[in-house]
Amino acid sequence: MPFMRSKPTRPATLVASLAVGLGATLAVAGCASQFPELYPPTAATSQGADVRTLYDIVFILAVIIFVAVEGAIIFAVWRYRRKPTDTDLPPQTHGNNLVEIIWTIIPTVIVLYLFIVSWQTLNTVEAKSDHPGVRVAAVAKRFSWSFLYLANDGKTPLFTTTAAGDGVFGTMVVPAGEAIDVKLVSPDVIHAFYVPKFLFKRDVVPGRTNEFDFTVDPGDVGQTFRGQCAELCGSGHGGMTFEVKAVSRPDFDKWLQEQIAAAKASPPPSGPPASGPPASGPPASGAPPPSGAPPPSGAPGSPAAAAEVDLAAQNIAFDKSTIEAPAGVPFVIKFTNNDAATQHNVEIKNPDGSVAFKGDLVTGVASATYNVPPLKSGSYPFQCTVHPTMTGTLTVK
Amino acid sequence: MATTALTPAATTYRSSLYEWVTTTDHKKIGILYLVNSFVFFFIGGILALGVRSQLAVPENKLIPPELYNQLFTLHASLMLFLFIIPILAGFANYVVPLQIGAPDMAFPRINALSFWMLPLAGIIMLAGFLTPNGAAAEGWTSYSPLAQRAYSGTGTDLWVVAVTLIGTSSILGSINFLVTIFKMRAPGMTMFRLPILVWTALVTSVLVLMATPVLTSALIMLFIDRNYGGHFFDPATGGNAVLWQNIFWFYSHPAVYIMILIAMGIVSEVLPVFSRKPLFGYKAFVFATAGIGALGFSVWAHHMFTTGTVYLPFFSFMTFLIAVPTGVKMFNWIATLFRGQLRFSTPLLFALGFLTMFLIGGINGAFSAAVPVDFALHDTYWVVAHLHYVLFGGSVFGVMAGVYYWFPKMTGRMLNETLGKIHFVLMFIGFNVTFFPMHILGLEGMPRRIAMYASSSGWGGLNLLATVGSIVIAASMLPFLWNVLVSLRSGEVAGDDPWEGNTLEWATSSPPPPYNFDHLPEIRSERPVFDARHGRTSSHGTRA
Repeated sequence: MPFMRSKPTRPATLVASLAVGLGATLAVAGCASQFPELYPPTAATSQGADVRTLYDIVFILAVIIFVAVEGAIIFAVWRYRRKPTDTDLPPQTHGNNLVEIIWTIIPTVIVLYLFIVSWQTLNTVEAKSDHPGVRVAAVAKRFSWSFLYLANDGKTPLFTTTAAGDGVFGTMVVPAGEAIDVKLVSPDVIHAFYVPKFLFKRDVVPGRTNEFDFTVDPGDVGQTFRGQCAELCGSGHGGMTFEVKAVSRPDFDKWLQEQIAAAKASPPPSGPPASGPPASGPPASGAPPPSGAPPPSGAPGSPAAAAEVDLAAQNIAFDKSTIEAPAGVPFVIKFTNNDAATQHNVEIKNPDGSVAFKGDLVTGVASATYNVPPLKSGSYPFQCTVHPTMTGTLTVK
Repeated sequence: MATTALTPAATTYRSSLYEWVTTTDHKKIGILYLVNSFVFFFIGGILALGVRSQLAVPENKLIPPELYNQLFTLHASLMLFLFIIPILAGFANYVVPLQIGAPDMAFPRINALSFWMLPLAGIIMLAGFLTPNGAAAEGWTSYSPLAQRAYSGTGTDLWVVAVTLIGTSSILGSINFLVTIFKMRAPGMTMFRLPILVWTALVTSVLVLMATPVLTSALIMLFIDRNYGGHFFDPATGGNAVLWQNIFWFYSHPAVYIMILIAMGIVSEVLPVFSRKPLFGYKAFVFATAGIGALGFSVWAHHMFTTGTVYLPFFSFMTFLIAVPTGVKMFNWIATLFRGQLRFSTPLLFALGFLTMFLIGGINGAFSAAVPVDFALHDTYWVVAHLHYVLFGGSVFGVMAGVYYWFPKMTGRMLNETLGKIHFVLMFIGFNVTFFPMHILGLEGMPRRIAMYASSSGWGGLNLLATVGSIVIAASMLPFLWNVLVSLRSGEVAGDDPWEGNTLEWATSSPPPPYNFDHLPEIRSERPVFDARHGRTSSHGTRA
């Protein structure tokens, strides 16, 4: 039985459908601009503008594919519904290798194109300036943000903004039009730094320091941009907001000097000061760093003029692999932990493997004074008990 | 081809409770999986209604944040681990042995064990609500350090134990399916004559077998961190927080294919029957399914683009690439409809719903494959929209198609078509009203997993709309439940083959006898029942 056709000229129908489809796609894409919510907000940073361009490319392709494929489904549902005149089976087409090849190759080409343009945009977004205008560390802890401004060396702390209280945002003030280098630090759980108008977020991961640049458009000077934590961090996650305020460079310099002066005027924090420059980021807000208490094991308080040995930990390594101390007298290790939000200590082992001395854990960035009891001459391996790859040799003579 | 001859008492025989509890028959176990999964679907749905109630208006004080975090954690955990994965396993359990012409699964008692671990696991997970600090509250992704003991309570330990049990159930099931499919096919049922549903069960079982043990290891490590002084994932004591994410997502990305492939298999069964022509491109389907399974292991870190620890271009490339075999399947399904004779019974409606909604979920996922765009959209409501379009618009619509399609085979009764259409229309509308606005909320900057948002954000209107949609989804369950209960008692008698099906399950009575088949038709293609009906077997002299 011949297959019964209910529509006479199929090519004309096909052409008409394509024309209508194409027209509809263009109309939808055009009308979409009337619905700004279908797009991300107008970006306030140069990086964000590039992301927005990429989004627009993906969006246009998405609309075309959506209209074409949904259109095909809707067309099939309308055109091929069973009619009372359909008594025989339709043609039992099993497949067509040519169309399989075509509709494999075309999508592959499309996704390769999308991959390439998104990789190009990624390089722009990830690029870091050699000479950022400002270096800040954003410190995220449950459930507020504070911002530690750093000197141009990226290490010396200048001052910390007050952490936000209820309903008061922690605010990061930056000059517009200049690259701002941000380091992300957390002493507790994973958070995420997210500013919707920057079209950007980056996780704040305890134990590592993520770093990125952003440049606020010069035209957005005077604007304040809302941000909030975007990684579930506990019951206060939804309220963990902050602000980024873009000002002119002169206004920023004025504000910065005022903050530094105000920080110096306030009483110094109790406990040992953070000695030495913080290497990979500072501790949370202006809270005093934990002090390394004198070790429990071993001798009573050190006598006057005990020998001092300087030792520091940085990037999960000691700064010296060999240190020396005099034999037969107690001595002092002045230990500085430069790794933010990371615990280190110094444990000295006897040559037979037993523990000669174990210092308390110090959470960076902070210093501690270890009072080591007298040791006989010899070679003593020392290590960090948290990171056993951190090792060195203490020579006592 | 004769209807299987059963004793007159067979159609009115009702198994006792004891039989249900002790059964090793794959058909009863399949039904147990379905019923158990729907119970957790409804509990998970109620938790979702709790979430939507809290978010309906800004600055809502209805549900405190500590409880809110438990609600969305358990909503997702129940839906993923106790609803969608098991219900697809349940469909496979019922249908695969029938479709390959086997009398049961290879290991019937392990089959029963796999099932009974599930209600136990569900009770353990929900028992978290009875502990002092409540149920697990760190999201179903349970990132450390938040999931460490310092920040969470016993509910999280119960969650870890429950998910480990569920994983064990899945692994046992996967071995059962693989042995059954490879070793128990009827004569003539070569691999390339297997129904696509069986192929999707096969690839899913390979994924389960390879990926689930990785999750189990992560869960054990987390349990050791929490209870035995371990430091795997705690950076303050030398561990690595991102390590959890890598191990977790190495399982959980293939898991999303575990959560959809069998639903795609169901759609691949329904579309040909209700178009009255074969599935277009059978072999392309098989290769595309295998390709998706394989590629699915190479993309896990696209969930971690914002961690700063991932080689971004590789994972972006592989994520874009996986769109290609997925597109091939979409085009083949549409080509099946083309030049067919479509009968718009409820199974076809839900299959069409799958096609139209899964397409949206696939497209909005492509945005996230473009890494810089993901920097803007990750952890916002855009992702919530994406995951619900693929899991609900995709998998759940596929599940509903399967329910309406195989209910007659399982029970001997037809479901009422009018109630089915009402169910479909309400669910389709409610689903889109709930989840489409979430694209916009994500673009506007609303993060996920927040218990409350400010009125100044401007997110109130769309959130209220989404809440209204969720109530419509809930309402759509009422005609469905009513339909099931009434049809069980007094639905139209189905007979062996009410839909003019293609595959072997329609060659026996509804419901089948315990041993499945009195007589098997000749198997010469992937549509043995179709062939027998249209005189295409060699005993009729015409070669198909």
